[in-house]
Amino acid sequence: MQPKSPPNPGRRKFLTYTTSFLGIVGAFFAAIPFVSAFKPSAKAEAAGAPVKVDLSKLLPGEMMTVEWRGRPVFVVNIPKENTNFITKNLERLADPNMEDPSQPDYAKNDIRSRKEGIAVLTGVCTHLGCAPKYYPEAKPEDFDSNWQGGFFCPCHGSKFDLVGRVYANVPAPTNLVVPPHFFEKDNLLVIGSDGVS
Amino acid sequence: MSENTIGKKSLEWVDSRFPVVDLFERHLSKYYSPSNINVWYLFGFLLLIVLVMQILTGLWLMMNYTNTAEGAFSSIEYIMRDVDYGWLIRYMHAGGASAFFALIYLHMFRGMMYGSYQKPRELIWVGGWFVYVLLCAEGFTGYVLPWGQMSFWAAQVIISLVGSIPYFGEDLAIWIRGDYIVSGITLSRLFAFHVVLLPILIIAVVFFHILALHEIGSNNPDGIDVKKHTDQDGVPLDAKPFFPYDITHDFYALGVFLLIFCTVIFFFPEGGGYIIEYVNYEPANPLSTPAHIVPSWYYTPFYAMLRAIDFPLFGLTAKFLGFVVMAAGIAIFAALPWLDRSPVKSIKYKGIYSKAFLTGFVISFFVLAYLGSVPPTETKNMLAKVFTFIYFAYFLLMPIYTKLEECKPVPERVGDPA
Amino acid sequence: MECDNFKSDVSDKASLQRGLSTYMNYCYGCHSLKYSRYKRVAEDLLIPLEMYENNLIYDGSKIGELMEISLTKEDAINWLGAYPPDLTLEARLRRPDWIYTYLRNYYPDSSRPYGVNNRVYQNVNMPHVLEDMQNNLSESQYDQVIYDLTNFMTYVADPSAEQRKRIGTYVLLFLVIFTSFAFMTYKEFKKDLK
Repeated sequence: MQPKSPPNPGRRKFLTYTTSFLGIVGAFFAAIPFVSAFKPSAKAEAAGAPVKVDLSKLLPGEMMTVEWRGRPVFVVNIPKENTNFITKNLERLADPNMEDPSQPDYAKNDIRSRKEGIAVLTGVCTHLGCAPKYYPEAKPEDFDSNWQGGFFCPCHGSKFDLVGRVYANVPAPTNLVVPPHFFEKDNLLVIGSDGVS
Repeated sequence: MSENTIGKKSLEWVDSRFPVVDLFERHLSKYYSPSNINVWYLFGFLLLIVLVMQILTGLWLMMNYTNTAEGAFSSIEYIMRDVDYGWLIRYMHAGGASAFFALIYLHMFRGMMYGSYQKPRELIWVGGWFVYVLLCAEGFTGYVLPWGQMSFWAAQVIISLVGSIPYFGEDLAIWIRGDYIVSGITLSRLFAFHVVLLPILIIAVVFFHILALHEIGSNNPDGIDVKKHTDQDGVPLDAKPFFPYDITHDFYALGVFLLIFCTVIFFFPEGGGYIIEYVNYEPANPLSTPAHIVPSWYYTPFYAMLRAIDFPLFGLTAKFLGFVVMAAGIAIFAALPWLDRSPVKSIKYKGIYSKAFLTGFVISFFVLAYLGSVPPTETKNMLAKVFTFIYFAYFLLMPIYTKLEECKPVPERVGDPA
Repeated sequence: MECDNFKSDVSDKASLQRGLSTYMNYCYGCHSLKYSRYKRVAEDLLIPLEMYENNLIYDGSKIGELMEISLTKEDAINWLGAYPPDLTLEARLRRPDWIYTYLRNYYPDSSRPYGVNNRVYQNVNMPHVLEDMQNNLSESQYDQVIYDLTNFMTYVADPSAEQRKRIGTYVLLFLVIFTSFAFMTYKEFKKDLK
């Protein structure tokens, strides 16, 4: 037999559309577990959990590298003599006022940190992902005769100041990223958490 | 208006390069199925849905599973606990395996009941049987992967069966294991079979099965050839197009199936130990066998046959003979098209012998399934022998009893009085 | 012997918390829960993370880590003669009623190395670690302790059970609606075949 014209086309249409719609909704629900399973698992979350760092041994001018979520995080104790530069020489920087959202709101300040003199920076160049090198002293360097201390990326020559703000006219487009962090105690830094629950 | 033309033009463009319209019509909108088919004709569609579900869930499990003896067991718990909704995906896969077998047994029984294997559908039947054999292998290899006690000892027992083959059996078993005992090496190769080789074969043979079916068309509970009587357009009078008549029926069946399936996986995911065995929550330990080793419920009829054969015959050891009988129990389905000599297809019109033997077959299948799932005793072993005999009698005596019995006349058209 | 009836209630968070506390104090020295994570247990049992970290993690592990113990296989075999199994999945392996009955059926037996034997698990190698507790508590109090402990072990063997049943209820409700409409649609088209 061939398909027949129904006695009540409205009812048939309504039922066909409703069932199809419910079928699509059902398929959408069924997709939820499959999509969710792609999120970082509890194991990945645990491996990427916040890291506690004791800063009591970090002397002025020194930098330490901490691993968080498989990436280096630079923690710098900025010497007093360098802090001047942070508020001066802003004309050499590409984004001195930190318009680009590469730091949490609480670090969008002159010191780019939660604590005066301590910089917390993700050690991944915003150009192509190399690890910038630390050149703390304000003295002429091969790559910059008027160097004021900061980070220099050996891969493509990007330059950043001591709080990770990028220089103008270098390949890197934005400032080094400040990861979420807070100070649990005066000398106890926690990287990976904003400290609010 | 313009959209319509674009759509139409795109379709034409594709259609002149690949026959989409023809395929759609041949397999869906103008694929005709007999108007008298009943609830037994829903399982093919459900099996296809379960196949897709197993492939999807399997893919997701594979992303998080570790195929080593050291890592397999804990990677399952990683999926169950650490991966978001990992528990659901695993329960779907484990429950899906049981659903797959439940549905395929019903699907096969439909074919036996209505003589769907008879001329001209022999290849559809043999293809379907091959899917079943592949599915048995797929089920077994998958069962080993969690690497619990049941996984390990099932692998041990099944691979040891191969060792019973005279002359080269032991060497063959070692070759299959890749080791002197079942080990991580064995696990890795069973994993490769489970996720690559067997699924590819299953998909290929299912494709063949459906293609062959759509060439000949479905059988029906009366065994009437519905292609004989057509209207002026050549459309069979006693058949209806798949779209919309069968698809609506299939969707309704899907709803009912999912209600049952989801009740199981959300509320009884272990199925009382029949879907996930409790013993399998202990990691594999080659030095200690669990007190009761039982195969999954869907293999128990054949396991009972294996155990029933406890005597040597014709110079063959009992062990090898048991293996042969068990394998024959699965293999013999393929011979059905050539064993049945009846002039009619459906059990409705067959004679009393066919009805009696088919009933005997069903009873023996269930009794053997039960016997295979409980520890053996002398009485139970005796029963297993009797019912193994009845099981095989259904097949082996078929050429005789289908010739001897008197059949009822088959109506010419659907709805005609018999 | 027949196991006593045990009906778990993993929604009773207070019971689970008491069970966790008993487990951590009496069992965890030897029996790890190595497939489970501290954090998951804390969250599921509604224990604040900080409180959990300060009171229930003894070895300086981080809260996200697996509940592994420091006892090595070698030491265990030297000291105890056997390696105490991980118990994360014990309630799924042996079933909760077995655990409940087992822990309440130690009896004195001077022929055994620890002076105790068990009616459920004959010649068990484990000493009766809760002996003092059993002596100091009334029978019903002790049964409650074991109930809570078994309840906790039931939870930790299958931590997704509550979420599973909650989602399952919604899934079934949806399927009832879908199937009703699918049924009506099927009936509607079936009219043509009469």
